[in-house]
Amino acid sequence: MQNTHSTPAASPVVPPDVHQTIGLLTRQLHDALNGLGMTDRVKGLAGEIPDAKNRLTYIARLTGEAAEKVLNRVDQAKAQQDALAQEARRIEALIIADPVAAVAKGHVMNFVGDVEHSTHQVDQLLTDIMMAQDFHDLTGQVIAKVVNLAANIEDQLVQLLIQTAPVETAIKGPAPAAALVVPVLAADYQPSLAGPVIDPTGNPDVVSGQSEVDDLLASLGF
Amino acid sequence: MANELRFLVVDDFSTMRRIVRNLLKESGYTEADEAEDGVVALQKLRNGNFDFVMSDINMPNMNGFQLLNEIKKDDKLKHIPVLMVTAEARKEDIVLAAQSGAAGYIVKPFTKATLEDKISLILTKLGLK
Repeated sequence: MQNTHSTPAASPVVPPDVHQTIGLLTRQLHDALNGLGMTDRVKGLAGEIPDAKNRLTYIARLTGEAAEKVLNRVDQAKAQQDALAQEARRIEALIIADPVAAVAKGHVMNFVGDVEHSTHQVDQLLTDIMMAQDFHDLTGQVIAKVVNLAANIEDQLVQLLIQTAPVETAIKGPAPAAALVVPVLAADYQPSLAGPVIDPTGNPDVVSGQSEVDDLLASLGF
Repeated sequence: MANELRFLVVDDFSTMRRIVRNLLKESGYTEADEAEDGVVALQKLRNGNFDFVMSDINMPNMNGFQLLNEIKKDDKLKHIPVLMVTAEARKEDIVLAAQSGAAGYIVKPFTKATLEDKISLILTKLGLK
């Protein structure tokens, strides 16, 4: 009978004191952070990570929707153009065969009407394609916030590194480039404004669309 | 008359400035200039002759709220309606904009119809349409 509980041959043999060592290191890190008074800051940054994930998901969704919308509108516009070209060839053949009849029977005027209708529709599709580019503004603002978060995390880690490094390294070692760059990056952004709402669901402090803006302004007498 | 109005579109994203200017053109408003932040906008407003401002809020150097305040403090500019066009969707921002003298507030993303409606509403209220 095969032993289903046997350890696979490929699994590494874990020395019995590894878990104890990891536990000790974890404890030391915890104590070090406590001693440095950094636990709250680290906790705060950790709390922002899910928000950053939501923001990146929002960017992926918005760019995906924009691409989808543009491709759909292009398909529709191309179909319109193909139909118009096909109709032009048909009318051309009718005019060559009998110009008077082509005009008299209304083929030419019908075609003129078709052209006007079709160009109007294509113009609408082009407007839709243009409007789909608004994702650049919205995602740009969100990306700025994620970059700011990453810069903050980097800054905290650099500070932790500096404060916990052996004295000799701290004095002689090269200054991390990030320590010089981070404050400049962080200063470029304005955290006081919230930017695009990633998920308005269950958040009473934000509006979910233009109709709510209008209602709010109306309640203020505007 | 409305079509002769001169617009200033203020947004730090060039894509959005182009979109808004194109929409204005499609709606018959062919006179439009643009600025990438409040500082540039204020310079253009003081040196030019504008009838309508459409401004983003979250911008570097001078944000939309600061620009709005500067416009409303300036005797020569305070009559110009300012329509906020922004991704800021917090109710407190909308209330602040209204209390600061904004003529309207549009949240991004918006539609062409929304933009036309708000401009039309503001122009009608001011007797310019």
